[in-house]
This record gives sequence, C-alpha cells and structure tokens, in this order.
Amino acid sequence: MGTYIVRRILQMIPVLIGSTFLIFIMVFALPGDPLAGKCGERPCPPAYAAAFKEKYNLNDPWYVQYVKYGANLAQGDFGETYNGISVAEQLKDRYPVTVKLGVMALIFEGVIGVVAGVLTGIRKGGFLDNVVLISTLVVISIPIFVIGGVAQYFLGVKWGIFPVTVTSGEATVYQLLLPAIVLGSLSIAYVARLTRTNLAENLRSDYVRTAISKGLTKRRAYGLHALRNSLIPVVTFMGYDFGALLGGAIVTESIFNIPGIGNYIFRSIRARDGASVVGAVTILVLVYLVVNLVVDLLYGLLDPRISHD
Amino acid sequence: MTDTTTRPSASGETEYVPQDGKLLEVEDLHVEFHTADGVAKAINGVSFDLHQGESLAILGESGSGKSVTAQAIMGILDMPPAVIPGGHIRYCGQDLLTMPEEQRRKTRGPEVSMIFQDALSALNPVFPVGWQIAEMFRIHRDMNKSDALEQAVRLMERVQIPGAKDRVKAYPHQFSGGMRQRIMIAVAIALDPAVLIADEPTTALDVTVQAQIMSLLEELQEERQMGLILITHDLGVVADVADRIAVMYAGRLVEKADVHDLYASPAHPYTRGLLESIPRLDQKGQTLAAIGGLPPNLMRIPDGCAFNPRCRMAQDRCRTEVPELREVAPGRLSACHFAEEVIDA
Repeated sequence: MGTYIVRRILQMIPVLIGSTFLIFIMVFALPGDPLAGKCGERPCPPAYAAAFKEKYNLNDPWYVQYVKYGANLAQGDFGETYNGISVAEQLKDRYPVTVKLGVMALIFEGVIGVVAGVLTGIRKGGFLDNVVLISTLVVISIPIFVIGGVAQYFLGVKWGIFPVTVTSGEATVYQLLLPAIVLGSLSIAYVARLTRTNLAENLRSDYVRTAISKGLTKRRAYGLHALRNSLIPVVTFMGYDFGALLGGAIVTESIFNIPGIGNYIFRSIRARDGASVVGAVTILVLVYLVVNLVVDLLYGLLDPRISHD
Repeated sequence: MTDTTTRPSASGETEYVPQDGKLLEVEDLHVEFHTADGVAKAINGVSFDLHQGESLAILGESGSGKSVTAQAIMGILDMPPAVIPGGHIRYCGQDLLTMPEEQRRKTRGPEVSMIFQDALSALNPVFPVGWQIAEMFRIHRDMNKSDALEQAVRLMERVQIPGAKDRVKAYPHQFSGGMRQRIMIAVAIALDPAVLIADEPTTALDVTVQAQIMSLLEELQEERQMGLILITHDLGVVADVADRIAVMYAGRLVEKADVHDLYASPAHPYTRGLLESIPRLDQKGQTLAAIGGLPPNLMRIPDGCAFNPRCRMAQDRCRTEVPELREVAPGRLSACHFAEEVIDA
C-alpha cells in the first residue's frame, strides 16, 4: 500500500511537467503583444519596454522561458501577471469558491442521483422509472449553458426563487445553490442511471438470493447487500467527477458570475495572460491527479477484491 | 464442540413440530415461468415427503426442474416470471405457500436453509465471511455483534476451516473453492435448521474436495438429525449420502426409490439410461452409452410420457397416455407404463 502510493506520486511528476509544458507552449503560441495598450495610445518608451521584457523574460526563446518558469514553479512561485499582480494570491482567493461550488454540486449529485437510482432500480419499468429515465435523458442531451441560462432566467430572474448572480467576492452557499444544481445536473443524471443499472443487476445476483434465503428482510437484502455492491462504481464515478467539476465549472461560473477558478481562467485566456493560465491549470491538473489517487485508494477500500499491494 | 444443537423457539412466535416425523410435504407442486416467448412448465405436479434425519436426493439433468423445486421450497423464485399455479409445500404441517411473507421469512434460516452451487457468487463479495455467518445470529436471534462473531468462529471451526479465528475477517475471494463452500455450509447450518437443501453443492469443486464436502454434509446431517434434500445430477455423489432418490424429468418425478434398489435395478428407462451413462473402468474402449436426444423444451413438453422421444422402449401408448407415478414394487414408485419390464431387464 505504502509503496503503491509512493509509486503513484512519482508518476505524477512527469504528468505534471508534461501538462504544464503543453499549456505553456499553447499560451506562447497565442498571437498578440503583451506590451500593446500598456502605455495608452502611444508605443511604450524603449526603456520601459526593455525593463518589461527583461522582467518577464520575453527576450529569451520559449524553451528558456519555460525552464525559468518551471524552476520558479518548483519553488512554489507562480509568478506575476503582466499587471504585476501575484498569481498565487489570485488563486488563493478564487480556489475556495470553486471548491465550495464543486462540493455542493457533488452533494446534489450524490443525494439526488443515488435516491433516484435506488427508487427506479428497485422498480424497474414502473412509472417513476420512466419519469427519471426521460428527465435524465433530457438533461444529458441539453448543453449546460442552455440549462444554466434557462434556470437562471426562470428560477432567478422571473420567479425570484434563487439569486440571479453572485454579487460579492465571497460567494455564499445560498448564492451558489442554483449554480451547484446546474453544474451537477449532468452528473445527477449519470449517477441516477449508474445506480439504477447496477442495483437492478445486483438484485438478480446470487448473493442477494442467498441473503433472502438467509431469512433477511427484503429491505436488508436490497438496501444493504445489493446497494453496498451497487455503490462501488457510483462512488468511483463521483470521485473522478469531483476532479472534473473543479475544472469544468468555466461555463457555469461565467453564467452566474462566480469569482471562481473557471471564471479566472476564462478571463486570463481572453487577456492573453500566460502566467495566470498556466498557474491555474497547473493547480487543476494537480488537483485532478490527487483526486484520482484518492479515488483509486477508496476503490480498494470499497471493494476488498481490489488490492494495491 | 458446539452447543447450538439445543433449539430455542427463537422468537417465541411459531413453533414447528414435525408430524409423524414428517418435516416437509410437497404435494402436487406446479411451477411455470411466464416469459415473452410463452409459458415454460418447469414443474408439473411433483410430490414427495421428507422425514427427520432423512437424506433425499433429487436427481435429474439440467432443466429437469430440480433446482426450481428447491427454490420453490425456499421461496426464492423470482415471481414474476415464476408463477406457482397449484400445489402445497407444507413444513411441519403448515403450508409455506399460503403463509404470510413475514412468517415465512422467519422460517428461512432457523427452519429451512439452503446451500448453493457456486459459493463464490453466492457469498457477498464485499463483506467478511465471519460477518456473513454472524448475520444469521444478529437477524434471527438479536445477538450483539461480538457474540454473533464468536458463534461464527465456532461454526467455522465446526466446518473445519483451519485457523478459523484468524480468518473471520477475510473475504470470500481469499478462500479456496472448498473452503468457500464450507463457509456457505456454516451460514446454512448456523441456526440449526430442520431441513437443509443442498443445490448441487459440489458441482463447482474438484473431485477430492467434492468428497470432503459430501462427508462433511453427511456428518453434520447425522449430528443434527436434519432432513437433507440433495439436488444433483451426479450419480456418484448421491450413492454414499442419500437414503432415497427421486429422479426428475421435464418437471415430473419419474422414479422414487431406496438408493440401493435404484442402483441395483432402475424402474424407469430414463434412470437406467443415466446409470448406463456412467463411465466404467471395466468397459474401457467401448462407446459410452449416452441417452440419445436432448431434454424437452419446457414450453413444448411432448404428449404422453415426456421421455418417449428419447426412450428405446417407447410404444404407441407412451406417446398418448401420461404414465402415473405408481407403486411398482414395495417402496418403489415409477412413472413408466412398462416399469415392471424395466426392473426385470
């Protein structure tokens, strides 16, 4: 187990280096001059331009820039934006908002998805089953910006049930309710279907038949023996999805004006702010890798047949 | 070794007392499966009794209805698609089929219990084996966790699992096939049931382990005076353990006899075919006498005797008239129009 974790962490290093490298050259390839518009209508004074280029290593070839950036990053220095703002500070302010949103979306997806999946899995083919199947199909088919926009218009603007946008720098739980449901909606549909399919399959399994022949109540045979097995893939899915939720909130965060990491990346790309994009994405990649490791370890705990030795 | 042999009237609700030593009476049982393709008649009027301490083997090919019979007794058929249009299954005089479900549930485990063919899939993969045995005591006897686990260890010792104490927390996949089947047996006998149904308990095991499991079952049955229903297609397994044999074909009993009589002189052509199809050392080099043809489709069981298309002795009468299960010799029942000739042959 210990050696497994160490091995996995060592595997992260090349992935991290590789992904930062790819993002770095992609940002580098973006057209545009960082000095454009820096000094109003006029071109910048040569002395300022020289100092600026020196500070951001803009005279070096791209690979030297990358090595310098990587060396700083390895020491925990995310650098500065062209406006002279510390990237690390920005990330520190914005990450908690995205994590809060992601956790809330995950809770919705877990609670609503599993409950819907259990209710439909036990009575396959019933009325409720059809309702859930059709509604999840609708959710899966519609892109998230449509769901987000429609939900915002009706639930926020028209009926005033939820706040329309996030207005403060620190998004409150209440303000994030609707965005979290929107963000989680696709996953709710997947979790519901995954739970339903697995439960329906496990209900016909031999060990559930054994459970019944042991004189257990249906409630216990289904709710404990079958469900415990059915939730293994569901929990695994949700674990991986949490990583995706943290990175995939760009659309949702833009719709609801949430000052999270997605919004930040979106704006930085538009502003051609390389340091911000690379820094933020590096953190996303890192989070995703760590979440993956945690899920794999969790999988071993949930299913004793999986061994990490 | 264990003191679980004294039987407390667990919940104090219903007491089951065998009548004239009869534990189980199955009477004219019918089971059908209603599928999209039609109705499959899996069991067509099966009757038999099981007495205290008796071993009854139910023998038959796949699809003969032997497992369905067991599942009907246990009440674990999937209904639907299964339907029981007629018949009675009485346990100590009480009809299990008309009993309220909650009352019937409480008979599963303390009164009637079952062992399945493939212990790997029949045990829950995500719970430790000790936990799965202990669950019987916790559910039926309201025992606390640690007492129940202690009982589980004792049972694991009783079914001869080496190092039982250290292995209670192990999971099913960490045991060998034979050991898993022992755990399955431990679960089944935990509450000292009066009737134990073993559905092909050794089919998934290799031959040496088969013998060990069968002798364990035999030993436990003697020790606890259980009624044992042994379902198998393996004539070799039956010979040592069973007192009586019931042979099933296409959902009917075709022959019922004492084990020695049946082996010495079968009273039904099907039974004779089965016995002749056992490979024998003294017939090396000769073609194995297999029964020609295939078991009938249960949606289209042939008219008359269901076995007639495969029977070497079949006459016109066999194709029209269903032979009743009748006494053809003292203590011997056969459902063949020509049973007397078969015995003498």
